[in-house]
Formats: sequence, structure tokens, C-alpha cells
Amino acid sequence: MSPTVVSASWLPAAIATAEGGEGGFKTPGVADFWWPVIPFDGTGPWAVTRPALVLLLSVGLLAWFYVGATRKLTVVPSKNQFLVEGSYNFVRNTIGRDIIGSKDFLQFVPLLLTLFTLILVNNLFGIFPFIQFPTMSRVGIPIVLTLIVYITYHAVAIRRKHGVLPYFKSLIPPGLPGWLKPILFVLEFLTYFVIRPLTLALRLFGNMLAGHLMLLVFIVGGEYLLLEGDNLFLKFSGALSFGFSIAMTFFELLIEFLQAFIFTLLAALYISDAVSEHH
Amino acid sequence: MYGSIAYLGYGLAAIGPGIGVGLIFAAYINGVARQPEARGMLQTIAFTGMAITEALAILGLVFAFVFQGTNPN
Amino acid sequence: MITASVVAAADGEPHGFPSGFPLLPQPAEMVIGLIAFGILYWLYKTKVVPRLEELYAERAAAIEGGMQQAEQAQAEAKAALEQYTAQLAEARAEANSIRESAREQGASIVAEMRAQAQAEASRITESAKRQVEAERQQAVVQLRQEVGSLSTTLASKIVGESLEDEVRQKGIVDRFLAELEAGEVTPQKVAPAGQDA
Repeated sequence: MSPTVVSASWLPAAIATAEGGEGGFKTPGVADFWWPVIPFDGTGPWAVTRPALVLLLSVGLLAWFYVGATRKLTVVPSKNQFLVEGSYNFVRNTIGRDIIGSKDFLQFVPLLLTLFTLILVNNLFGIFPFIQFPTMSRVGIPIVLTLIVYITYHAVAIRRKHGVLPYFKSLIPPGLPGWLKPILFVLEFLTYFVIRPLTLALRLFGNMLAGHLMLLVFIVGGEYLLLEGDNLFLKFSGALSFGFSIAMTFFELLIEFLQAFIFTLLAALYISDAVSEHH
Repeated sequence: MYGSIAYLGYGLAAIGPGIGVGLIFAAYINGVARQPEARGMLQTIAFTGMAITEALAILGLVFAFVFQGTNPN
Repeated sequence: MITASVVAAADGEPHGFPSGFPLLPQPAEMVIGLIAFGILYWLYKTKVVPRLEELYAERAAAIEGGMQQAEQAQAEAKAALEQYTAQLAEARAEANSIRESAREQGASIVAEMRAQAQAEASRITESAKRQVEAERQQAVVQLRQEVGSLSTTLASKIVGESLEDEVRQKGIVDRFLAELEAGEVTPQKVAPAGQDA
């Protein structure tokens, strides 16, 4: 297995190792999302990676855009303000107010807005030319976001129910026969403390990873077929695969919006569960 | 050629949640079509149900990653 | 970097950080993610959201103010309309009353004129009557004098005696006239006495 660094430098290294010899094409996998830029210790855990830089870039962009656009607000909005207000309106009213309830949604709006804009921009970077890296396809970043949501909704719930024990008690729906209570408590406990954070993080991660992986497969596979194909049929298939990857890019765009929306929506939903008096 | 049968398992595990999510949104669309004013409430319920149903598929994905097997070569 | 990872792959070593377990998060990414989230959250919480909420409140106030203004304008318009209607009704009533009074006045003028004309007419008639009466009276008096003198002349001629004596003459004539008026003396009796009857 002699490695030859090939073609477009933006492609992850492992994908680019298209060899002419035995075996040849290597299918892209999870490992292709490992992309250390500043390796402090080789391939170690403290290397600054490309998704981390993309994340910082997105934060810079968002801060510049949102803070800049809200510097001088007018009652009749300008073009930038219209965009800011549109996204803010969506998060504030459609996600925040309609789900958490108009009584105490306002304190969670910054959290929801941060989640929504950060995830949306980072998802869009997945198909943005020259950046082309969905940050959320690195599992660490969705885990961090989920952790924040997780801590938030448990803290809110414990404060609302006045203590940890009342909170655990409120997990069991009232009016159940005694023998059912332990079973239901275990189920509810698992839902609240394991399933919810796990699915919240992994849904985003899985969707972004799978979507980008699919694009990679079509693009890299198409390229390989086009360049290395022995006959006309394989070359034609490669071109077709390339074309299909463009269609899939638009599908990805939809998924990216949807995932940002679902993540924020579910975060609001979990918070609303914690805020509500009864379970 | 080698691979992990775990991904095959994940594919199988995704069938159920796929049908489930489909049913949930079918019911949601039905409900909204019948009573457009109940959209907000139904949306919350639909997404809660979807989150629970999809959890199964995501657990499948986790297990597919966890039990990867080793390269026989 | 790329070559490094490729070399790592070539060496048969685990490729990249998520080698054994793909779902293991990389600590550096988590830390950077946390920092990134913190920065953005802080900016949103202290700058973006308060500003936007302020704008929302301002806009709501503006809309409310606009609505109030519209309500006020509507009320004003309503008041103006009422005033106008009232004025119109007043004007109509006034016109009615003016017309009524004019009619009354006209009627009274006509009546007055008629009365005046009647009075004038009656007065004229009266005065004419009176004049006629007076003239008749005068004529009667004159006639009586003339008849008296004529008859005395005639009588004196016939009798030859002067009836110049005033008192007698008057008594005779008066007696005659009284008889005449009484119808005691018929014209037939006189006629033979007169020369040219």
C-alpha cells in the first residue's frame, strides 16, 4: 500500500489515495473527517482540527453579522436588518414562544438563537464552496451543544420543582397503580437522562456525517470512475454520479436547514417540559 | 472485500423507525388538514413523537459504530 | 498534515483520532466548541437580543400609537360629521322657519294690502257718496231758494203785491213747499197756473 497524494488538495487525504493497482478505490469513511490542522501532538486529542477552525470562523461571521446589523436598528428594517429580524422572529416566535409558552420563553431566546444560528451556519458550511466541512459531523461539537441543552433543562426543572427529589417524583405520571410506578420511573428516567441527550446529539451528528459522506461517495466515486474507468460505460457512470452529487447537494441544503430547526425545536421542547408545572 | 455486518444491522434497524416517523407525520398532516388552527399544538406532539421514534434508529447507528468488528486482513 | 495522516494510514496504524471508536469526541474540538458557543451566547445575550427586543417594544408602541392616532382621527372625523349633520339640520330648520315666516309675512302683507285697499275703496265710496249728498243738498237748497224767489217773483207779478217782506215771503214759500212735499199740491194744479208747464 504505497500512498500517493492525489489531485484536489481539499479532499481528505484518505479519499485521495486512489491507487491504480490492486484494490484501487477506497471508500470514504468516518476516518476522512479527521483533519488536524495544527497538530500539537501528532494525531492526538489536542490537535486543533479543521472543524474547530470552521466553528471559530462561523462564530466570527455570526458575531460580526448579528452585532453589526443590530447596531443601529430602525423601525422600518433595512436589508440586513430584515434578515436578522427574520431569523430572530423565527426562533423567538415559532420555536420559543409557541413551544415554551409566552410566560417564560424570553430568557431562553438567546440560547435558542445561538443554537439555531450556530448549527445552521455550520451545516451550511458543509456545502459552502472552499469550506465544505460540516462541523457537526465531528461528534464532539454536537455533544457540546447537547451538553449545554442538557444542563439547562435539568437545571431549570430542578429549580422549578424545588429540588432534585421532587423532580424525580414528577417524572412519574400521577394516578398509576403502585406496581407500575418503578417500571415507569425507570423508563422516564432513561428518557430524560439518557435517550434525550443521546438522540439530540447523535441525530445532528448522524445526519451531517451521513449527508456529507454520501456526497463524498458520489464525488470521489464519480471522479475515480471517470479517471480510472476502463470502458465508456464506467466513464459514463462516473459522469452520472457527478451529476447526481449536485442534485444531492440541494437535498443536503434542505437537510441542513431541517436539522438546525429540529435541534433547536427539540431543545425548546425539552426546556418547555422542564418549565411546565406538571410533568 | 470486507465490511462490517453492523451497518447491515443498522439498515435493518432503521426500517422500523422509518415507518414510525412516516406514520407520525402522516397523522400530523391529517390533523393539520382537518384543523389548521391546531397546528402549533400538533407540531409539538409530532416532533416529540418523532424524537422518541427516531431514537431507535439513532441507537442503531450508535451500535453500528460501536460493534465495528476488525479487519480480517 | 495531509501527508502525515496518509503516512499514518500507510503504516497500518489507526487512522486519525477516532480510530478505535468513531464516536469518541476529540477533546480539543469540545473545548473549542464550548468556547465558541460561550462567545456567541454572550454576544447574543448582551447585545443582539436586548437590542432586538427593544426594537420589538418600540415597534409595538409605534403600532399601538398609530392605532391610537387612527382611532383619534376616526373619532375626530365622526365628531366633524356629527357637527356637520347638526349644522345641516339647523340650517334646514332655519330655512324652514324663514320660509314659514316669509309665507306668513306674505300672507299678512296681502291681507293688510287687501284691508287697506278695501278701506281706501270704502273711503272713496264714502266720500263720493258724501259729496253727492252734499251736492244734492246744495242743489236742494239752491233750488229751494231759486224756486222761492222765482215763485215770489211770479206771485208778485201775478198778485202785484210785493212780497218783498222777508218774513212773509219766507213763511209763504215754506208753507208751499211743505204742502208740496206733503203731496197736497199736485203738479196739475200748478201747471195751469204756470205759463209754460
